[in-house]
Amino acid sequence: MGKTIVIVDDSASLRQVVSIALKGAGYDVVEAVDGKDALTKLDGRKVHLIISDVNMPNMDGITMVKEVKKNPNYKFTPIIMLTTEAEESKKREGQEAGAKAWVVKPFKPDQMLAAVGKLVLP
Amino acid sequence: MNLDEALDTFIIEARELLQAMEDALLGAGREGPDNDAVNAIFRAAHTIKGSAGLFGLDGIVAFTHVLESVLDRARGGDLAFDSDLISLLLACGDHLRILVDRVSSGDAGTDEAERQLGAELVAKLGRYMGATAVTHPAVRPEAASAPKEAAERPWHISVRFGPNVLRNGMDPLSFLNYLQTIGRIMRVEILTDGMPDVATMDPESCYLGFELALVTKAERAQIESVFEFVRDDCELRVLSPESTPADYADLIRALPEDDLRLGEILVRCGTLTQDVLAHALGTQAMEPIGHARTIGEILVQEGAVDQGAVDAGLERQRQTRDRKGQESQTVRVDAQKLDLLIDLVGELVIAGSAVGVIGQKHKMAALTEAVSTLSRLVEGVRDRALQLRMVQIGATFNRFKRVVHDVSQELGKDIELVISGEETELDKTVVEQIADPLTHLVRNAIDHGIESADARQAAGKPVRGTLRLNAFHDSGSIVIEVSDDGGGLRRDRILAKAVERGLVNPGATLSDSEVYGLIFEPGFSTAAAVTNLSGRGVGMDVVKRNVTALRGTIEIDSKEGQGSRFSVRLPLTLAIIDGFLVRLGNATFVVPLDIVDECVELPPENAVGGAGRDYVNLRGQVLPFVRLREVFSADGEPAKRQNIVVVKHANRRLGLVVDELLGEAQTVIKPLGRLFQGLSGISGSTILGDGRVALIVDVPALAQGVEVRESGALSTGRRADMATAA
Repeated sequence: MGKTIVIVDDSASLRQVVSIALKGAGYDVVEAVDGKDALTKLDGRKVHLIISDVNMPNMDGITMVKEVKKNPNYKFTPIIMLTTEAEESKKREGQEAGAKAWVVKPFKPDQMLAAVGKLVLP
Repeated sequence: MNLDEALDTFIIEARELLQAMEDALLGAGREGPDNDAVNAIFRAAHTIKGSAGLFGLDGIVAFTHVLESVLDRARGGDLAFDSDLISLLLACGDHLRILVDRVSSGDAGTDEAERQLGAELVAKLGRYMGATAVTHPAVRPEAASAPKEAAERPWHISVRFGPNVLRNGMDPLSFLNYLQTIGRIMRVEILTDGMPDVATMDPESCYLGFELALVTKAERAQIESVFEFVRDDCELRVLSPESTPADYADLIRALPEDDLRLGEILVRCGTLTQDVLAHALGTQAMEPIGHARTIGEILVQEGAVDQGAVDAGLERQRQTRDRKGQESQTVRVDAQKLDLLIDLVGELVIAGSAVGVIGQKHKMAALTEAVSTLSRLVEGVRDRALQLRMVQIGATFNRFKRVVHDVSQELGKDIELVISGEETELDKTVVEQIADPLTHLVRNAIDHGIESADARQAAGKPVRGTLRLNAFHDSGSIVIEVSDDGGGLRRDRILAKAVERGLVNPGATLSDSEVYGLIFEPGFSTAAAVTNLSGRGVGMDVVKRNVTALRGTIEIDSKEGQGSRFSVRLPLTLAIIDGFLVRLGNATFVVPLDIVDECVELPPENAVGGAGRDYVNLRGQVLPFVRLREVFSADGEPAKRQNIVVVKHANRRLGLVVDELLGEAQTVIKPLGRLFQGLSGISGSTILGDGRVALIVDVPALAQGVEVRESGALSTGRRADMATAA
């Protein structure tokens, strides 16, 4: 059984591509459409990494990170934020909330795999 | 990676988003769109850009990048959503829709008018950017590009992780693992100097530092990018292969632990230094006694290290190994003296754990800490002392050249002996005691295994037979293999013989290894059963007994017509092991730590025994287990929550159900007295820190018992013989 990664993004196609890339590399992937959805999917299952967009409807990435960090089950789960160049301030906000890793959008699948590999190898 | 399906998703999604953007723009009143609408518009551009990047649609990325930048300003309130902007944005949406349609129709090219329209729109958007120039769009160069075709070079990495890395979800180990994907880590030294007192230590904080020797084709940027996510949280120093000795000296001075560790780091990490040091030592050895220069002087003279660094590093070394013997490289020591030393170390281990028990009882942090330092040292002494007794198996193997020569002459066979793994080390006592059983196996292979030249020729094999002796280490044990390319064991004949002898019920289904195992039964004459050759029937039961006495096991692999392989698996040492303590009733038992895989709780539904209930589902795999309570008839009631210690023996996993897990402890193995020699399930005893005696569980015997239970095919006579566990 591979390591489980939760990918949180409101774009279905982005989730799909990232998911294909991650599964191809040997990870298990759980998809969530926004922060709220992600929190319900963090139901105690073992998660090795969370990848989350910042800008999402219902609950944005930063709020989600703060919630995740409060949950003792996921206190030590690494989180990668997906930011854009224009969102330097968001990136800092995310890091303060506890998401220390980031990948700048737009990215290629390989770039995502490299970033993920630094935190969790399949 | 097939992205076609995902691309369809992208097209549908992009069209929806563009529609949402248009709706929001058109829905805007005179005062411009409200906050939600602005967010929706921004998100549309943002999402399309992000996904388009994944598919490598650079045209869309470039265009949406500009659009997004303008929208970001508008969102931040820097821009007014006037009707001009709204119509421009609508036009942009239309343009994007065309671009998406092109992707949809699989049409890569763009026509001129379209390109011009795009450029016009970008220019108009640019006006809204004001002073802030549009940053360069599109996908950045790949950070972790594939290593260029370069030679592998040695790097040195020094990293000290900050206390918060674990809390930030960063596992230091994961970065080391990732380093392995861009190169090979030759050495890792873990620095625990930052560790505070046990009492003040925060288990959620990280106190570790690492010194790494990495061989890689990668360049500095790529190596540093590995630590990108912890850059703010760690001190990282990467020394390139071109680093001068002075750089190393700087490194050593800059390190928080610093001090007189130079020698240690230099030698152990062996990046620049191993060579230089060895070279220097070589020079030193050639100098006449009395004129020996210190290593430091040599290093400096040869320009390897600068004086300051050496002074600091060698200060301590000078004190400790002032007069290192230069007369000879080896010292002959009476084996008995070594045995005496091992015995004493054994006593030291016991005495040390006795102190540990007192420390724990009185909960004195200072004492506990002192004891843990002490036990680490004792462990070191133990390992070194045991190392002294280790000898290479090569000498033993070489003896067989003669045996093979003599026996094959005698039998008129042409046999080649191939020896490998002769550098494998094992305990001297083991080597001495394994020689006899090995001789039996070798003779047996020549005598019964390898066929006569005629038979070989008839079977289309090379006339010359091959006998192989091989040795290697495998998780705490050493495996010695004797294999031949002869006729192999004749399964049907062995089985027939066993049925005839009443060892097996007629019609029973036995696995191959069970059938082969039968040849170790006492009185099981190999001569008639295994091959047609008559010869000296070597009692395989004696071999088995000898190996078992060494806490070892034998496995047989055989293919009829192709040969057989006898693998003798022995523990590395007979004297002191790392043990895992478990409780059963009032008694403590020891399981050798090398073979412990993990521990899990016994599910309540398995708490009560019975036929077919001695299995659990361990992450989707069947794990047979043995209730040690029943095996050893432990007294008292079983614990409310029993545990399973999962052990691994010869590639099989087996659970041992115990009352309580007590943790690990160094274990000095004391052989059992003659009275208890026949005791199965127990391989020895040891003395615990509190003076009590604990018995060492004989896992191979239990594993065998389970195998018997699983097959359930052997006759009761044999069953009683081996029924240690079933």
